[in-house]
Amino acid sequence: MRRLTPLRLAATLGALALLLALTLALGVAVGPSGLALCEVWDVLAGRSGGAAADIVLSVRLPRVGLAAAVGAALAVAGVVFQALLRNPLADPYVLGVSGGAALGGIAVLTLGGAAGLGYAAVPPAAFAGALGALLLLLAVAGPAGRLSPTSLLLVGVVFNAFASAAIVFLASLAGLAEGAQVFLWLIGSLADARPALVASVAGCVAAGLLAVVPFGRALDLLALGEESASLLGIDTKRVRLWLLLASSLLVGAAVSVAGLVGFVGLVVPHALRLLLGPDHRLLVPASALAGAAFLVGCDTLARTLLGGRELPVGALTALAGGPFFLLLLRRTQALRR
Amino acid sequence: MRGKAALFVLSIALLGAAAAAEPARRVVSLNPSLTAIALALGAREQLVGVDDYSARAPGAGGLPTVGGLYDPSLEAVIALAPDLVVLVPSAEQRGFRERLETLDVPCLALDPVSFDDVLTAIATLGARLGRERAATARVDAIRRTRARAAAAARPLPALRGVLVLQRDPLFVAGAGTFVDDMLRTLGVENLAAAQPGLWPRLAREWLLAASPELILDASPGSEPAASYWARWPSLPAVNGQAVFDIPEGVSTLPGPDLDEALLVLAAAARGPAFAAALRAEAR
Repeated sequence: MRRLTPLRLAATLGALALLLALTLALGVAVGPSGLALCEVWDVLAGRSGGAAADIVLSVRLPRVGLAAAVGAALAVAGVVFQALLRNPLADPYVLGVSGGAALGGIAVLTLGGAAGLGYAAVPPAAFAGALGALLLLLAVAGPAGRLSPTSLLLVGVVFNAFASAAIVFLASLAGLAEGAQVFLWLIGSLADARPALVASVAGCVAAGLLAVVPFGRALDLLALGEESASLLGIDTKRVRLWLLLASSLLVGAAVSVAGLVGFVGLVVPHALRLLLGPDHRLLVPASALAGAAFLVGCDTLARTLLGGRELPVGALTALAGGPFFLLLLRRTQALRR
Repeated sequence: MRGKAALFVLSIALLGAAAAAEPARRVVSLNPSLTAIALALGAREQLVGVDDYSARAPGAGGLPTVGGLYDPSLEAVIALAPDLVVLVPSAEQRGFRERLETLDVPCLALDPVSFDDVLTAIATLGARLGRERAATARVDAIRRTRARAAAAARPLPALRGVLVLQRDPLFVAGAGTFVDDMLRTLGVENLAAAQPGLWPRLAREWLLAASPELILDASPGSEPAASYWARWPSLPAVNGQAVFDIPEGVSTLPGPDLDEALLVLAAAARGPAFAAALRAEAR
């Protein structure tokens, strides 16, 4: 694999940023209402109002913004979890962080009415659920603050099983309507892109990304193993804790609005690793850009494929991501032979 | 105190303004019951968009659709430039309504759960659509049929029954629903009324233990109700051959035709002659 030079870093990130810009532009340009391109342009140039302006500025822009934030968050969280646990299968879902977030959100969705909690309480509850799952993970798996990758994964698996059981339990308690809502949550959807919500999610994701990006070198060393990392001068305990907190902030923010959008945290980092190599100084920002572009693209498809009827984006990420990933894996192995 | 008085005056003024407002011209309906009511009141021309389920209703064909009950597309709704969106205040549409209102799209939330709720929904929607007369006529016809049915059923012996919405898992009509009201009108004791929830999900064991004398099966299954329920011959309703298929939608849609729904249930619960007499009276 080629060495990472500033030029290569800039060129790769520039290309990915361009890709993201293109998908964002496409996402704003097309939608189920069949608004003409010139109408969209007029709205963006401030020359048009009315329904067209509402559609472009209040529906499509927040929607692509949310897709970009959620995609970046899930992809970067995936990179971090995979490096920290030195396990290619690690992703926000495997660790149970997403499951905790979903459990929090769904608990409020199904039982919140009785406690006087409205729909607005769902995102904060999901966020609390993600943090709760992480705290439990830290408490159980690391009594002395040292987290063995295996026990961390195991706790994640057990917690996930618990969370799915609890979600199924809540869904069966709920009525027909709430049951359908829980189903949408479990697949993942970006339909709830309220501008204020998008701004707060984007803020959380930006903070999380800023917290992770400077640790590219540390992630490289941690991926080699904890011992080598400490020998090379990394305060492994603190760096690990910091990165886990940052990545659960990312996952909590994403899941709290989008539900369980699967596959982004697994497919994007692995695809990029195959294409760009394992250097995390490049991999982390590249995953953020590519994850954002991937989810914006999938969501644009989800919004437009069936006309007025929207598909849940989580179904598309899994449908598109799975075969794409297998193809990439096969091609790389063929090249190595 | 002064604040409260001002608020009161303001709300009176707002009510007055709403009553005097022009009828809505471009209406999007996000609920099949509300769509059916609008259509029955002759407001087909004013409807510019409906949800996917509404679109399957007779008379709604050709209307643009804006997505499902649980995942309507905000963009598709706004693109229709509605001056009124009618919906139900359930959890899945609450967030949607908030977003519509921030975009200054007027919304009307109606919750047709009980029999009287449905009548209120017909009257309220009729007023907003400028079809007060049609709405009043519909509400009066439904009230008349209910009164006649109640009077005719009063001398008859009470029946213990259930109305099944779905067989597996078992969902039945519970207390507080318009179905429960219709059953009571016909002198049928709704065995599920003691269960919590409007549309309780119950174990089949519960149904066997409750031993209904009458099963009204409005579930969407393709197997006829009589042969399905015959698997449990201990059910008094099976023994007494009092298991009836109720066409889906007739008695499960809290819509504009509750008088017709009542007649369908009456034919099953009290026999065709009973229903025919009511129908003759209605003419």
